Amino acid sequence: MIGLLKSMATTMKHALSGDTFTVEYPEEAPEVSARFRGVHKFSQERCIWCRQCENVCPNDTIQIVTDNQRNGEQYNLHVGQCIYCRLCEEVCPVDAILLTENFEFTGDTKHDLVFNKEQLKNVPWYNDIDPVASREPDRGAWIGDGEGEVDYQ
Amino acid sequence: MSTQQEDDTPDVDDAAPATPASGSPAALEALIEDHVLEREDHLNAPGFVIRADAVQDVLSTLKTEAGFDHLSCVTAEEHEDRFESIYHLRKYDDPTQEVSIIVPTSRDNPVSETAEPVFRTADWHEREAYDLVGVEYDDHPNLERILLPDTWQGHPLGLDYNQNKPQIVTFDEHKNPLEGHEQAADDSDTMFLNIGPHHPATHGVLHVETVLDGEQVADVNPDIGYLHRCEEQMAQKGTYRHQIMPYPDRWDYGPGGILNEWAYARTAEDLADIDVPEYAQILRTMGGELCRIACHMLALGTFCLDIYGDFTAIFMYAMRDREVVQNILEDLTGQRMMLNYLRLGGVVWDIPEPRAEFFESVRDFLDELPERLDEYSDLITSNEIFQARTVNTGVLDYETAKDYGVTGPVARGSGVDYDVRRDDPYGYYPELDWDVVTEDGGDNYSRLLVRMEEVEQSARIIEQCVDLLEGWPEDERDIQANVPRTLKPEAGTETYRTVEGAKGELGVYIRADGTEKPGRFKIRSPCFSNLSALKEMSTGEYIPDLVATLGSLDVILGEVDR
Amino acid sequence: MATQTPLPDIISDLLGVGGFLGDAVSMLVAAALVGTIMLTMTAFAGPWAKRKITAAFTDRISVNRVGPWGLGTIVVDSVRLLSKELVIPEGVDRPAYDLAPIVLAGSALFAFAVIPMGNGIQLADPEVGLVFVFAIASIASLGLIMGGYASNNKYSLLGGLRAVAQNIAYEIPLVLTAASVVLFTGTLQLSEIVAIQQNTTLATIAGVRIPAWFAFVNPFAFVLFVVANLAEVGRNPFDTPEAPTEIVAGYQTEYSSAYFVLFYLGEFIHIFLGGAIIATLFLGGPGGPFLPGFVWFTIKIWAVYFFTQWCRSAIPRVRIDQLIGIGWKGLLVLSFANLVLTATALGVTGL
Repeated sequence: MIGLLKSMATTMKHALSGDTFTVEYPEEAPEVSARFRGVHKFSQERCIWCRQCENVCPNDTIQIVTDNQRNGEQYNLHVGQCIYCRLCEEVCPVDAILLTENFEFTGDTKHDLVFNKEQLKNVPWYNDIDPVASREPDRGAWIGDGEGEVDYQ
Repeated sequence: MSTQQEDDTPDVDDAAPATPASGSPAALEALIEDHVLEREDHLNAPGFVIRADAVQDVLSTLKTEAGFDHLSCVTAEEHEDRFESIYHLRKYDDPTQEVSIIVPTSRDNPVSETAEPVFRTADWHEREAYDLVGVEYDDHPNLERILLPDTWQGHPLGLDYNQNKPQIVTFDEHKNPLEGHEQAADDSDTMFLNIGPHHPATHGVLHVETVLDGEQVADVNPDIGYLHRCEEQMAQKGTYRHQIMPYPDRWDYGPGGILNEWAYARTAEDLADIDVPEYAQILRTMGGELCRIACHMLALGTFCLDIYGDFTAIFMYAMRDREVVQNILEDLTGQRMMLNYLRLGGVVWDIPEPRAEFFESVRDFLDELPERLDEYSDLITSNEIFQARTVNTGVLDYETAKDYGVTGPVARGSGVDYDVRRDDPYGYYPELDWDVVTEDGGDNYSRLLVRMEEVEQSARIIEQCVDLLEGWPEDERDIQANVPRTLKPEAGTETYRTVEGAKGELGVYIRADGTEKPGRFKIRSPCFSNLSALKEMSTGEYIPDLVATLGSLDVILGEVDR
Repeated sequence: MATQTPLPDIISDLLGVGGFLGDAVSMLVAAALVGTIMLTMTAFAGPWAKRKITAAFTDRISVNRVGPWGLGTIVVDSVRLLSKELVIPEGVDRPAYDLAPIVLAGSALFAFAVIPMGNGIQLADPEVGLVFVFAIASIASLGLIMGGYASNNKYSLLGGLRAVAQNIAYEIPLVLTAASVVLFTGTLQLSEIVAIQQNTTLATIAGVRIPAWFAFVNPFAFVLFVVANLAEVGRNPFDTPEAPTEIVAGYQTEYSSAYFVLFYLGEFIHIFLGGAIIATLFLGGPGGPFLPGFVWFTIKIWAVYFFTQWCRSAIPRVRIDQLIGIGWKGLLVLSFANLVLTATALGVTGL
């Protein structure tokens, strides 16, 4: 009986304190960590079309089309299929593809979620935070080439 | 404290004998020599190739005379010339003592003797082997498909399976789920009831075929596979270095992210002989324990949901505290569930800058935790009705737990003193001061207590890790070893390694085939084995207890079905 | 103050109508008034107050999108629920399936006819009022088993059977405990019971007169009654007939749209009816200082409602066998003991 009363007292304590831990999204934009992995941003100016991101992508989310001179023509990324592992950003040698902290995207069909390079370029920073700065300390730390010859494929 | 922490001592056959001669490979071979065809050692254990009709003989000899009482996993694979079933045996007392029993069968007639009479856990493992690879087991009590629908054509991990042909299994073709249960008409005392696949209490898509006698459970049979996502095959299609690591997050999304990743990392680092810097080991240990707290909070909350009904406060309180952990994990790894934090040879990120702020948030959480746990015990464990509901329900006794290969908090709740973190040390655990929690009750209440106490122990570990990380010299913060971009472990090397996931012993078996992708990737999921013991635990109990037992097992269907 | 003319008479006086037709009209108007009062309370309780209360216990915000404090959600929810498709599964037992929600909601509403709500709001004041309330309220279990049995669903069946087993087990302690109150009052007429509580003085402390509410006179009976009432209305720890995590939603698993609304309404009216009986028998009905009687009555039944929701957030559900055990071995014995002790005490003191 005492345990029962203790249970009821505990919940009443919470009710009386009036604290809430849920947030009123979208009025209150949630704070996300600087390392948060959201929708990608792509910069054609930086891209050297090395195709490493396409290669490393675990589930073929990135599709790159180049002409026969290896000049880039298309860069398509399915933000609905992506698993947000950030491997593309990790392997990119020139920071051409970055994951913003922006987690909001919509589309009427799944095809709307295939972003081409223009759409990817226009993805906004979340709360105007450029994640590169906060990730800076560790860029390059991941990369290891092992002993011997570097095998870029 | 050594500066270069040995992560996985590959205890190959002759590295093992710190133990008496009785445990040495030679002694083992002598024990079963009548049946041994040849030796084929794995990186983790000596392996013996035996005849397909001597499986029970060999396993029972090893179990009774050499003490290998834990059938951790059964891996089946197809080679160009043969099928192979590998029984990964180890001891509950000392999981570093391992032995692999390899049973080859011909490709034309892949029939091998079942191990089910020796280890009950082999029941489900062999069904899975049959389902996915196509090895048949003689005398198996119930050799049906387990993960795929009954009408599925072919065995997807077999070599001649057409991976590109989609199979749509229509409702008509599918076995009628009620078939064979119409005895209710003759035997009017019982009623067949489908609990799930969509039911408020199954925590995912689990279908439990239940036969009821009034309100009491006369028979129960979990039907799994609704969440089968071909995780093993996806891993086999990914490169060691990068592409496999994101997927373990999706096994146990409790979120056991780092713990799952660690299972893969441990195996692959063993396979490719990679050393992990000590600093990275501490980061891993801290992250892993944060994940464990988050998982246990979820387990506690949903278990109470099953007992209280869906307007209970305790679920929300547990979720709120888990939220704090998840915020910390988000700061550390960049995401809340699919963390993708580990890399082979280390972790991807150091502590976020400013470091002091991060440590402070972890410490704040740890400081508040005892208060929270006190609140939980006020709210649930000291509540008389809660005790009436959970004490002595869903009892799993010591021997049955071992027979079913049960591990993790469920086993520890039944008095099985087994924790891979302590018994087969990895990471930074051996250097830290913490305890393995066990309870003897074997009931739902004990399992809950084990989880709550493990949260305290995890907090202890995290606290020590934070202390270490804070004081770590700035120029020695190596978070990754120098690992080649392309890993090609030598063809034919095989290893099976386990870590202590939030639900129990999470193991990964990899056979390298000389390419940059694994030849066979097998996941030993703790939930899979734990769930198979459900029948033992809930037959004869009431429906509410069946539901509570399911909750206390804390199965994540993503991990069961993979 | 409690023995006032029943509401229909007041209305017929106001309207100045008489004769059979006039009586019938004023009767209907009065019934509509009482029904509206209760349904309005239910509308607040069901989609809104319940969420807000649960949210307060669980540190959340809850509905706040439509209208001030989210009150608009009452309208939104009713439109949403009623506009849903009414799915009638194959093989249901039609008349029973259709009648069940009506029986449940109707029976609870019907019992309010004799409850004195203060300020003369009482439809009728029969001499056997208390018996009438219990008789009508227990028809609800008929509705539950009709719904459970007719739905052609095993979960519904289990829920329906649980509901009946539970109601039988808890109805008896409920009535027996009420009987101990009747021993004091010597009447079954509800207005009399209220009047006696209000007019007797239990004690006078510092010049404040404490009325002899039976909750003060016999707290033991009050606790027994509240517990048995929780089981009667099927709320935690006794919500086994619904038990969402065990048997999906029990007897109402197969009900949708308007039928579901009726079930839902019926349950909430039932909780309020339980509150009304508690208020009438133990808390002096509409009696209370300063505020009008009806306001006090509302406060009291909402307090009981709040208590059920509080239990819901804090107390685990007992298992069905434990529930029956508590009912037959615990509450029944205790309520008999209470009855005998009360009778003895009354006999000895000669009150």
